[in-house]
Amino acid sequence: MNADSREADRALVARIESRDAEALALLYDRHAGRLMGLAHRILGDTGEAEEILQEVFLHVWKAASTFDPSRGPVLAWLLVATRSRSIDRLRSRRTGRSAVARSLEEAPEPASREDVEADAAGREWEAQCRAVIAELPEDQRRALELAYFDGLTHQEIAARTATPLGTVKTRVRLGLMKLRERLLPYRKSEAHGA
Amino acid sequence: MAHNERFEEQAALEALGMPLGDESDAFARHRAEGCPACEELLEDFRVAASAFAAEVPPRRPRPELRARILESLRGSRFPAVPAPTRSPGAAWWLAAAAALLFVVAVWDDARLRRQREDLRSQTAQLSAELDGARQEMARRDMRVRVLESDDVRVLFLGGKDPQPAARAKVFWSEKVKTGMLLAGNLAPLPPDKQYELWVFAEGKPVPAGVFDADASGRALFESKNLAGISPAQNFAVTVEPRGGVAQPTGPIVLAGTPAA
Repeated sequence: MNADSREADRALVARIESRDAEALALLYDRHAGRLMGLAHRILGDTGEAEEILQEVFLHVWKAASTFDPSRGPVLAWLLVATRSRSIDRLRSRRTGRSAVARSLEEAPEPASREDVEADAAGREWEAQCRAVIAELPEDQRRALELAYFDGLTHQEIAARTATPLGTVKTRVRLGLMKLRERLLPYRKSEAHGA
Repeated sequence: MAHNERFEEQAALEALGMPLGDESDAFARHRAEGCPACEELLEDFRVAASAFAAEVPPRRPRPELRARILESLRGSRFPAVPAPTRSPGAAWWLAAAAALLFVVAVWDDARLRRQREDLRSQTAQLSAELDGARQEMARRDMRVRVLESDDVRVLFLGGKDPQPAARAKVFWSEKVKTGMLLAGNLAPLPPDKQYELWVFAEGKPVPAGVFDADASGRALFESKNLAGISPAQNFAVTVEPRGGVAQPTGPIVLAGTPAA
């Protein structure tokens, strides 16, 4: 994600703050594909993933003023909102709600890169994230993926991977520390509009 | 309490929305005391974790979703707000209003966090209850399978000194490889002792598990240790050190002979 793209995102959020619905539509066009991909990866269900997207963009509309560029790029803000809502829904589903018919639903084709404008702008960000994740030790990456995508608790990760609880906590902390260390310069440059 | 590695661990779990368990109170107190390092870590970890989203290929939502979202904006309770016309005298009021809004926002944020923690706790509790119910269902299913098995056998065990009043029945199925013992009139044991069930195969005792009697002297015990013990010829119960032993060492309190 280059500086122009990040600046464009921030400008859109500023317009949304002043109740510009067209700006929300543009932000949607730029990032809906990636957010949909994440929600679908967590929930495995197209209908629920779309509901999450609707919640996220309604949240953006209502709470654009809470976006703080010093805390990261707009895309990260959207991803955090999408992931937390998806995980909440996943956990509520685990408490006993039926998952019948989810697998019967016709899923749309994954978007091609040409289809999603944000992907062109986000390729640099995507490449950097993948490179940083690839540098993580396998056990740290695995623990973080189970937490991030599957919403597992540290106890559940310990059981799933037959690893002591304390080791799981350490892996999660060290893994996030490494990601932060490598992505923080990116975040700082974002905050300063670089 | 000063910032330390343990709080960094808590910040990492919190950033991923993982329940903190027993340590949540200590971490909440630490944050309430004001720890800029932890607050920065929390935000950084949330952003850093988003890197994993780059591993997921984008998906195209259905076209009607975009229209639905834009349509829903019309029903939003947040209409467009015209830019305020500020006068010099309004500055104090604006500052006071901003301060009030900040306090309300902080309070509301804390309230929402508490609600979220409560919901998570309830979710975990319900999940545990569900797991317990499933385990109980599985146990009952196993009992039914033993009792309905066409090779089910029953053996009455009589009390021996020093518990002559003790009584028990054992149901077992070679096919299901499971035995159930229902016992009554068992004497209470010291905390370091347990009853141990023995299966006699080819005249030799094989441990089949340990159990406790309830306050009324009754016990219902299922043993899945019958796999490989075929055919079971006799059963007995002894009093052994808690956790059981490989060979009987204590007094026999129940013993029987298989029915033909």
